[in-house]
Amino acid sequence: MIDARYWLAGVLALPALVAGASLLRVDVERLRRLAVVSAIVMLLASLAVAVAPDLRAVSIRTSILSGARGGEALVRIDALSSALLPFAAGLWLLTVAVTPRAALDRAGLRRTALATLATLASFLTESAVVLLLLWIASVWTFLSALSDPAHRHQRRVVATYLGASTVLFGAGVALLVWPMAQGTRLEIVGMWLIVVAALVRMGIFPFHAWVPEVFDHGRLGPAILFSAPQLGAYVTVVLIVPRASPDVLRVVAILALCTAVYGAALALVQTSARRACGYLFVSQSALVTAGLDCTSVSALAGGLLLWLSAGTAFAGLARCVLVLEARRGRLDLSTHHGGYERMPVLAISFLSMGLACTGFPGTLGFAGQELLVDGAVDVFPVLGFAVVLASALTGLAVLRMYFALFCGRRDALADSGIHLGLARREAWTFALLVMVLVGLGLAPRPVVDSRFTASEEILRLRQARLVTSLESPSAPSSRVRAPGE
Amino acid sequence: MIPMASLEVLMLVGVGSPAALLALLGSASLVNRPLPERWTGRLAAGAMAISCAAFCAALLVYATIRMEAMVLYDAWSTSHPGGIAIEFLLDGMSLGFAALSAAIAGIVSAFSNRYLHREPGYNRYFFLLSMFVTGLLLVALAGNVEVLFAGWEFVGLSSALLVGFFHERPAPVSNALRVFSVYRISDAAMLSAAVLLHHVAGSGSLSLLFGGATFSSAAGPTGTDATMIAVLLVVAVAGKSALLPFSGWLPRAMEGPTPSSAVYYGSLSIHAGCFLLLRAAPLLEQSTPARLLTGGIGVATALYSTLTTRVQSDVKSSLAYAALTQVGIIVVEIALGLYTIAFLHLAGHACFRLLQFLSAPNVLHDLHGLEAAVGERLAPGGGYLEARVPEGVRRQLFLFALERGFVDAVLDRLFVDPFFWLTRQMSRLDRFLCDVVIRRAPSILVEAAEDRDD
Repeated sequence: MIDARYWLAGVLALPALVAGASLLRVDVERLRRLAVVSAIVMLLASLAVAVAPDLRAVSIRTSILSGARGGEALVRIDALSSALLPFAAGLWLLTVAVTPRAALDRAGLRRTALATLATLASFLTESAVVLLLLWIASVWTFLSALSDPAHRHQRRVVATYLGASTVLFGAGVALLVWPMAQGTRLEIVGMWLIVVAALVRMGIFPFHAWVPEVFDHGRLGPAILFSAPQLGAYVTVVLIVPRASPDVLRVVAILALCTAVYGAALALVQTSARRACGYLFVSQSALVTAGLDCTSVSALAGGLLLWLSAGTAFAGLARCVLVLEARRGRLDLSTHHGGYERMPVLAISFLSMGLACTGFPGTLGFAGQELLVDGAVDVFPVLGFAVVLASALTGLAVLRMYFALFCGRRDALADSGIHLGLARREAWTFALLVMVLVGLGLAPRPVVDSRFTASEEILRLRQARLVTSLESPSAPSSRVRAPGE
Repeated sequence: MIPMASLEVLMLVGVGSPAALLALLGSASLVNRPLPERWTGRLAAGAMAISCAAFCAALLVYATIRMEAMVLYDAWSTSHPGGIAIEFLLDGMSLGFAALSAAIAGIVSAFSNRYLHREPGYNRYFFLLSMFVTGLLLVALAGNVEVLFAGWEFVGLSSALLVGFFHERPAPVSNALRVFSVYRISDAAMLSAAVLLHHVAGSGSLSLLFGGATFSSAAGPTGTDATMIAVLLVVAVAGKSALLPFSGWLPRAMEGPTPSSAVYYGSLSIHAGCFLLLRAAPLLEQSTPARLLTGGIGVATALYSTLTTRVQSDVKSSLAYAALTQVGIIVVEIALGLYTIAFLHLAGHACFRLLQFLSAPNVLHDLHGLEAAVGERLAPGGGYLEARVPEGVRRQLFLFALERGFVDAVLDRLFVDPFFWLTRQMSRLDRFLCDVVIRRAPSILVEAAEDRDD
């Protein structure tokens, strides 16, 4: 029997260990190996939650940071976070295993470890104040990765948009936890501020413009690591869905559905591979947001599932672009690059992960996509079909990128003896990622069951808050209405 | 019970055999350890032979028991309600089409083993072929819309990637993308029909569309719902089977290897849409507008392709349009309610066109051999239609056929160009807005960013 607290402390200590080791005079490749081993250990340890339910006994509650009756959980492991922990570990492993040698340094590995720690800690809490602090930490970590003067434009974009979203989030949290604001219109204002902050972070229209800009200019690796965990989705699930009125959720879902189509359509016409990745992220995160804001069990479960599948697949796809860039420089999609024969694993991985983003049958995204489409059409009989359109356009964008990046030309250096194929760790990482996406796509039941359980828990919490607010004498009549009213 | 159980086992073996080949070849490629050509050829031959034998045996069992079967794995994705189930509907039509598909795939596999000997993409070809066969069998045996959609997607993706098989040249790749774009429209229509069926009937069971022995207690769609679902299905079929207005992708698809052109655009893939229409015939019967639409598309496609096939300069494109003519006629037969004739027409045409496609590389050689045997040049045949058309009209029709009905140009002008123009403007607007926001951002944020540069 493992003591759950020691287990959790061990999991959180792993990125801290790597961050600490980066301060020593350690060879960069050795540090990378330490990071890879730590990430693998973290991944295996976090998967232990699935087989050892005792580990979910961890819970630290307090009422200091919130006026909510019964307090709130500073640290907890529930059905939602039990799948997010291995997700965060997997993203860390992907990052440290395939970062090109030229982009690798001690400071970068430290930032990666700290960003992972912030993400992990975020997935363990439901406290608004703690989430705010971790939100600030993640933005700061991203900004610190852009300290080079060459990335000035990217830094300005990040500072402006994410700085504004952080301020909005902070103001919203302050109004949410302020006892004087409880049950008044100020609480509703606070909720809206948090909603807008989450929309900015997730890149939902009309706050999406920063995403392709950040992907296109400056450092792609930190942009992927910042975006892929989709912390905005977590804030949505933990803070917004349990509290917001049906009207708020409806507005957000409509914006998200439109953004999903918009992002996919624009990804199709980009000439820069990076910018296309940015718009693909916009589309994928919009689909996740749409699912999270449709208050039906299947749509919410679909959104939670897409969060995992699209987040993983997108991170892998974008890392493929990064790996390819390290070998060829900036990638122009208006011309054909060829080179499939020299890097078939990369090409196959790119295509597989791109198809997983579209919900292709046989990948984990298929189950999520089907649940989301059904749920979205139940809530929005016409607009729900936007999911279908977004999926079609995303598939086309992915195949266009695949053909442009790997086909259409005979590799001029095929017989030169110059080795441009993947390193062993890169090849194995991509291959394993594809196997996970396809394997879970063929046998999705454990993951889908866990997302349904999480979805039911979230909606149960929403229902409980609804009952509490209706019983409260100071409740404004329009704050939260019962479903179907 | 025993015959039912054996039917299920045979079905699983029949579908599982190419699926296992797909998994094996895919895994080997993913770890960069492709199998030797000899092994791939033998495994492919073995898998297709097992599949064909299994479905032939299943047909015999069905002929004995004369009872439809629904094989259901309802807890595949989740134990919660609302999850995705795997359902297979086993009846004479589905097993017959599956057996035909497996047999044709086996023949093509054997042909390809020699045709693509020492070709650099040999393993890739058989991987895609096994994906196609798996997908087509899922389409044939689908008992619910999720399985149908999965098969539909497999067929589409494998087709596009095989069009781009010779991917070191830009033309096959560009054409493959164009083909895939039409397939995505077809897939979107198929998925929309599936979702609508779920929404309307509360069930995704295809027995609601296919009628006959009903395995679902839910009521099938009627009235406007039936029309909407039927129209979406017709759009999906039109895209997959290259019916008008989606016929433009067909000649582009001839870029792929001849065996893949034979199995896709001669025999199986192009008929998959017709098969789906046959299955959904009870739904079509409930909707007169959908039926009229189906018949109209069939007639238009048949007329269009009989003109176009006469002016093609390469044998594969000519055969493709000739196949499309017959597909158009099959669609008309379905619209008229002549289902048995349509199925027999489909099966016979698939076999005949397969033979023609596989013989296409040898057509000139065969012609020279024939002329050598006869001892003189043979006069060109046909021309019966041309002789009856006035000269002026003939010129106009020739131009129309040469430009393939201007179908691509019209679609580009109406949809593709405006779409690209609009999205490019949106992209420019995004850049502009981002610049404006950054320039107008509160100075404290900009200074915080610039301080770090010091």
